[in-house]
Amino acid sequence: MAVAGIGDVTMSKCAIGKDDWAAFLAGELEEARRRTMAEHLDECPDCRAEAEDLKKVLARTEAVKAEIRRAVASVNWEALPALIADRVMAGERAPEKAPRTVRAWGGAFPLRLRPVMAGLAAGLVVGAAAMYFALRTPGSRPAPNTAYYASGEFLDRAELEMARRNTLDYLKKSQYILLDVFESGGEGLAPAAFSSEQARDLLARKKYLNAQLEKFQMAKAKAICDQIEMLFRELSEISEDLPSAELDRIKGLVEERQLLLKINLVRKDLEREI
Amino acid sequence: MKKANALIGLIIALSMGSSLYAQRPADEALFREAKLLVYDKDWAPALDKIEELREKHPDSPYAAQALFYKGECLNGLGGREKDALRAYKDYIRSDEAKANLVEEAEGRVVDLAFELYSAGDAAALRDVESRLEHKNMVVRYYAAYKLSLVKDKRVAAKAAPVLQKIIETEKDPELLDRARIALLRVSPESLKSAEESLEARHPRTGSPRMLRIRIYDKGRKDAAFALNIPWALADLALGAMDDDDKAELRKKGYDINRIVSELAKSKESILKITGDDGSVIEIWID
Repeated sequence: MAVAGIGDVTMSKCAIGKDDWAAFLAGELEEARRRTMAEHLDECPDCRAEAEDLKKVLARTEAVKAEIRRAVASVNWEALPALIADRVMAGERAPEKAPRTVRAWGGAFPLRLRPVMAGLAAGLVVGAAAMYFALRTPGSRPAPNTAYYASGEFLDRAELEMARRNTLDYLKKSQYILLDVFESGGEGLAPAAFSSEQARDLLARKKYLNAQLEKFQMAKAKAICDQIEMLFRELSEISEDLPSAELDRIKGLVEERQLLLKINLVRKDLEREI
Repeated sequence: MKKANALIGLIIALSMGSSLYAQRPADEALFREAKLLVYDKDWAPALDKIEELREKHPDSPYAAQALFYKGECLNGLGGREKDALRAYKDYIRSDEAKANLVEEAEGRVVDLAFELYSAGDAAALRDVESRLEHKNMVVRYYAAYKLSLVKDKRVAAKAAPVLQKIIETEKDPELLDRARIALLRVSPESLKSAEESLEARHPRTGSPRMLRIRIYDKGRKDAAFALNIPWALADLALGAMDDDDKAELRKKGYDINRIVSELAKSKESILKITGDDGSVIEIWID
């Protein structure tokens, strides 16, 4: 018997049905063609035997599909990247495992079905790979040793840490700028050390803090940072020729709302948390 | 007759001048009051003042700026995100818009668009994506950062080229750390190539490149926690370690910062610590 692919199961003796056996067994053929093939099956014992073999293969495929579905349901996708990372690293230490797997597959099936199984196995591998790539979170796939990897949970914690540090830094710099501005009071102009550029820089940083402070429910820090933001917006607009009346107005506002005291308190809180 | 006409003209001019003079303080006072209310997050009365200013003094030099604060109020009120977005966009388009406030307004547009997208308005994300090519670097960077937070990772990955550019070109450590973390989320491969490109241009001879941490629960071969990150994020990573793990190390008398600095010097060694509960922490550096 010739070694054949899935479309060639009946090739040895019959000219009929070369390409349609899989569709026939899956019940996907149009009625006229299905009837022709069914009649041929009744008459041809060789084709009947081949069809029985193919039926078993397809049934096994269904079983494998069910297993995959069960496996997918049981996988802890959060922990999977770490698992894969370790497997990859372990695999690098023991590369001889792969050929054994190939031999096991090869020996399990009769020769004539090997191409069928090879195709099926390849399909399963491709299918599983496609499933993996569809389900994995880009950014979480650990690869060999040189690949970067961090879980989403860890990145959240790192961002929380960064939010604390950056908020502290923002508050410190804001304090310096406010003190600097007020020390120059009475001269009628903004202090030389202060520039709208500094205020704009802090305003640009604040954008990133907004999302983080809200995400991590750092409400007190958010409130104080919002107030500073508003002041800096004012200062960045009028710093070049800050008239003394304007300066006094802003100074009065900061004193009245005890902004510097509040900044200190929030700073203490954040320092304790670090 | 000519003299009479000239006199009438002068009177009209003076009267117009005085009315302009009188208008200026009224609109300015309204604008200040509105801003003070915004400062206190008293959104509804602040919005009233702003609307009053724009209705009564449409030609005021503060009318355009008031649009920005209108956006602030609508944003602060909640539930009116689309109106807020429109107000910010109107301000950005205004001829009177100031550069620093435009930058702020662009940031607000990105935030609001992201918020609307997260609430189910898929089209809103176009406002974020389109800003990846904004001429203002600050806006471009912020749009990329925000896009990296989108849950659909195929969409988030669009931020990768801009984030990669930040790592390759920027010097600000805060910005760099943010870009690194964002890239770790959306495309670790892009982070790797950005770090390699940075290394090629500014070789850091002898300094470590990667920090690795593994934590194994008792008797398990699969790591319960795994981490491979650029060395530049090491300090942040150690700060972000789980409190229990840090406590475990402290209990055993290890100073985590000292450990890492020692590991950085030796580079070859792996630190392995076994906890009382049988869990194992491994830290090493490449």
